[in-house]
Amino acid sequence: MNTPRTVLFKVLRTDPAAPVPRYDEFRVPVGSRTTVLDALLAVRRLKDPGLAVRHSCLHGSCGTCGMRVNGREVLACVTRLQELGDPVVVEPLAGARVVGDLVVDMEPLYRRLEPVGRPLLRASERAGPDRAEAAAAPGTGPVLEELERFEDCIECGLCLSACPVAGDPRFLGPAALAAAERVLEEPRGTEGRAVLGLVDDAHGAWRCHLAFECSAVCPAGVDPGGAIMRLRRRLLADRLPRLVGKSHPHQEVPS
Amino acid sequence: MATRTEEDFTEATRWRRRPRPTFAWVAQVVSGVLLLVLLTAHMVAQHFVVEGGLRTYADVVAWIRNPVVFAVEALLLVCVTWHGIAGVHAVLLDLGLRGRAERIVARVLLDLAVATILYGLWLLYMLAFRG
Amino acid sequence: MIGAGLRRGDKRRLVPRWLDPHGRHLGSWAFVANRLTGLGLVVYLYLHLVILSTLLRGPEAWDGMVELFRRPVFLAFDLLLVAGLAFHGFNGLRVALVGSGLLVDRHKALLVAAGTLVGLVTLVAAVRIVG
Repeated sequence: MNTPRTVLFKVLRTDPAAPVPRYDEFRVPVGSRTTVLDALLAVRRLKDPGLAVRHSCLHGSCGTCGMRVNGREVLACVTRLQELGDPVVVEPLAGARVVGDLVVDMEPLYRRLEPVGRPLLRASERAGPDRAEAAAAPGTGPVLEELERFEDCIECGLCLSACPVAGDPRFLGPAALAAAERVLEEPRGTEGRAVLGLVDDAHGAWRCHLAFECSAVCPAGVDPGGAIMRLRRRLLADRLPRLVGKSHPHQEVPS
Repeated sequence: MATRTEEDFTEATRWRRRPRPTFAWVAQVVSGVLLLVLLTAHMVAQHFVVEGGLRTYADVVAWIRNPVVFAVEALLLVCVTWHGIAGVHAVLLDLGLRGRAERIVARVLLDLAVATILYGLWLLYMLAFRG
Repeated sequence: MIGAGLRRGDKRRLVPRWLDPHGRHLGSWAFVANRLTGLGLVVYLYLHLVILSTLLRGPEAWDGMVELFRRPVFLAFDLLLVAGLAFHGFNGLRVALVGSGLLVDRHKALLVAAGTLVGLVTLVAAVRIVG
């Protein structure tokens, strides 16, 4: 009989009663497909029911189980232990108030997304190579692909944690800025100029320092870093003509 | 949505409206590109053309009296001071400066930049005209 | 004042977030290197201005100092300066392009290109300094 492989977990625990967070160690038996979340739930079941962990879908689409594993932001439910070493260090997301153990207050993320406006999935008359075809059959073929590409963000907060700047609560951050870019790409009646004004700020699109950590950790392929750069190009296209002396500003938000 | 913006990000939207941050970025890019050219010229002309890499006092004075050289050095001084101080400001911002401290630091940095440029120009003048 | 810049939930460390090396990818390293070279260059700017003020004390003072700066330790420092300047310049150009929304998808390739140029320039400078 083979003894199952075990992995040592060092989990950062935060107890409101304790003055300083501490690392608790748990040795957990793991299989070839065990994920970090599986292991943490096993810890809850078998060793310490007081370990606070948040999760929902278990397949990487809800964005609830974001945390730092060996220093990197990941979704715990799709992170296989086989790809990590031993020990495995597990910590909550950075930059947010820890509610308990691995659970953080997601309010900073939602607070930033609100003023940008949160684009909903909808059909677009401009999507797809053939407008007539797209209008006739919404939600099929290339039209659907383009729509889904806009709405990849699952609001997991990994980007905000990974960003070296986002510790500053004034910075809009990668998720909100990427959402702003999506709104401007397809406004659908949203006031584009207000969004442009919001991101044209020292703590908006211009605070990004191009670390691209956000794009590196995003589990949904949003590429917030790229979105921020496209946002900056829009701002330049909008503001520069005024600098150079053209008298009237654009009415339409430039692409 | 516009009113919500003001409430949530008052500090972001109120104090920093002028000058537009887009122009701060443009200034950094323009000064940076200029520096690529000017610093390369400066390094080559000052250190890689001269025998031994460094000019004697007499050579320095003769060199700086050339009006083209004088103008280029003055422009270099302005660009590098602007670009460098703006960069320091960005670093300090990332340390979490806010409110009154931020305004004071911004003012100090601006004064430092002006003082640096004035000193450098004075130095150039002294060498070119009183050397 | 430095509260916003610290990573929460970590062992007590007064490392500003942008210097924290955990979980870093390539783009982050470029950002950190750009910052460190930038700060180093600002320090050098003021050092340089102080050194240049020696010119005001006349030929003997300056020419004496020139002899000092021909020593190997200073030449080594000069090479370091050129490397730092080259990195900040070429990566800065990448930041100027990508940060304005151009060639965004190629930002990693641009970093490799910048690194290559830095190596080339440093090599040429080394040959010239040693020669």
